[in-house]
Amino acid sequence: MREDRELSREEIDAFGAELDALRERTLADLGEADARYIRRVRAVVRACCWSGRLLLLAGWFPPTWLLGTLLLGLGKIIENMELGHNVMHGQYDWMNDPELAGRTYEWDIAGPSDFWRHTHNHIHHTYTNVLGMDDDIGYGVVRLFPEQRWKPFYRWQPLWVTLQALLFQYAVAIQHLRLDKVFKGRISREEVRPLLRQFNAKVGRQWVKDYLVFPLLALALGCNALAVLTGNIVANLIRNLWTFTVIFCGHFTEKAAVFAPSTLEHETRGHWYLRQLKGSSNLQGSRLLHFMTGNLSHQIEHHLYPDVPARRYAAMAREVREIAARYGQTYNTGTMSGQFATVLQRIWRYRLPQAV
Amino acid sequence: MPLIPLRLTIPLRPWLAPLRWLTAHHWLRAADVDACLRFLQPAWALTRIHARVEARRWVAEDMLAIRLRPNCNWPGAQAGQHVQLFIERDGVRLSRSYSLTAQADGCIEIAVRRQPEGRVSAWLCEHLSIGDCVELGAPYGELRWPQEGAVLLAAAGSGITPLLGLLRDALGRGFSAPVRLLHFVREQGQRAFVEELQQLQARYPNLAVEWAVTAGAAGQRLNAEQLHAWREAHVLSCGPAGFVEQLRELVDGQAASLQVESFTPPQWRAEGERRPVRLQFFRSQREAVGDNQVSLLEQAEAAGLKPEHGCRQGICTQCTCQLLEGAVRDLRSGEISHEPGQSIRICVSAPLGDVRVDL
Repeated sequence: MREDRELSREEIDAFGAELDALRERTLADLGEADARYIRRVRAVVRACCWSGRLLLLAGWFPPTWLLGTLLLGLGKIIENMELGHNVMHGQYDWMNDPELAGRTYEWDIAGPSDFWRHTHNHIHHTYTNVLGMDDDIGYGVVRLFPEQRWKPFYRWQPLWVTLQALLFQYAVAIQHLRLDKVFKGRISREEVRPLLRQFNAKVGRQWVKDYLVFPLLALALGCNALAVLTGNIVANLIRNLWTFTVIFCGHFTEKAAVFAPSTLEHETRGHWYLRQLKGSSNLQGSRLLHFMTGNLSHQIEHHLYPDVPARRYAAMAREVREIAARYGQTYNTGTMSGQFATVLQRIWRYRLPQAV
Repeated sequence: MPLIPLRLTIPLRPWLAPLRWLTAHHWLRAADVDACLRFLQPAWALTRIHARVEARRWVAEDMLAIRLRPNCNWPGAQAGQHVQLFIERDGVRLSRSYSLTAQADGCIEIAVRRQPEGRVSAWLCEHLSIGDCVELGAPYGELRWPQEGAVLLAAAGSGITPLLGLLRDALGRGFSAPVRLLHFVREQGQRAFVEELQQLQARYPNLAVEWAVTAGAAGQRLNAEQLHAWREAHVLSCGPAGFVEQLRELVDGQAASLQVESFTPPQWRAEGERRPVRLQFFRSQREAVGDNQVSLLEQAEAAGLKPEHGCRQGICTQCTCQLLEGAVRDLRSGEISHEPGQSIRICVSAPLGDVRVDL
């Protein structure tokens, strides 16, 4: 488990001040190169998605179908993670470019971006790993920490997690509807109705686009509509599995900590930084891995600085790691396979009530 | 060579209506469509106004006139209006407001005065070249030429630009009552559009143009004598806030009508004593201690936020955001807003007490 030195109030303030200074230094350096980068990412997304869709029109011919599906899946992954997720955090708001404005960007996934801006940007990033506050802890269907109260359906959680991974985009999308509270009667149906309308509209649009328009287009062009439809389904599946893996590695690894709601009382900026550091875990790997995870492999840096352009995290990580070491705090990092293995262990172990 | 000439975007505009419908209903992303259109013609876009630089010429030592050909989305403007012009520097989209000095043949002309410290004007004057594309906002501005009767135009510095636009338009339409243009400049070399004005004067006998150089011992200042015979005319004035205020005092109550526009933000009305307030920036989860005299935009920036903004004068509405809690005061008018969920322009709103805004 974690080994963290207890910090005094003064130390926590100093710790926060050092991290603040790093933030200021990085923000002051933003400019042309960052703007060029995010636009190139967007160009890559377009190239992947459009070429993937074009290749799928060639039908079941294995080389083109496989490549087309992979490119489309790749395009969606990059769009959701390095482009959409980061833009929606307002990482590029400093550019003042309406096309990359965090408030209005809409991403290529089932969940409406407005939902995400609330459940993720606000709830998850503010109350990271605080039990009962951060719904991202297991998304209501998985018990990952002994501190979570056991319920009978957790017994089958390996199955729930598998389903969640396969349908991850919908799992993320429905989070904001708080269906659990609706069923328990804590939220009225009237309150949920406008959200449900928004949800249906977005999911409907995604389905029509991926599963109707492009197959019909194929049909109109005399191509194989079924190959196109299957390609779209598989591409979405690839994206779901990959994003699920990356996101579960972010906060549920062996050394990730959870917190009681009382932590939030009188929490200072320094305390908040400390909680983000303790609750998040990084992935080590190549530059390609960092890119493909939308730099969420630098989950710690992302949680310390959610609105700093993610391409800066790699450089910031060196300093954060050094600061953490000086304050005697565990810097939770490991390879993707190693970290994910510990997540799977948690899922398996805490399905039972007696496991603590 | 662009694949499609810029002029052709105008007849093609109705054909893009289905695409506009699809983007408005979130089936397509406008940015993706615009990327394709830009490939065909650099100044083309679905709804945004882009323009190509057709010509540039110096009209004073420190003023550059730029002729622009806007794309199909330009809604047309009235003489005397202004546009927001956007450029990108170091990855940041910056904008400034410039007045239209002329419109003809699908082109518009703006005049840019080079500000010594200006990030935008200096770049425009030095680097903007023919063939470049810039983005424009929709035209705005309330200055209108009077229906009839003598007209006095009083301009200071680059305040000449909207008045020149109005003057050209009115004379071109056959306005025949006497018109007098008074242009105050600091130095001789800053007299702008001299040739054009002299030509206009030669062509239209009802126009009289005078320049007043304010620098030096013999410098002329705005005074009651200059205005004496014209006090009862329709007065239009444009210039820095100080100049405009002074003119207003000289003619107030006597002029047939008075329209003024100042381009430096007027001194904000300070109200009450300076005292600390608590600012909560909801979206970015930040809190700061600010004060009740400075605009929320400046205070947010001081707290490390980078809110979207444009003109910083309460004009372009780009910085509009929701007030969630508390009350703010409009720095221009003193008007108070306190409805939760109300949209406020943070560049001209100062907190009255503790506030929470959706930034």
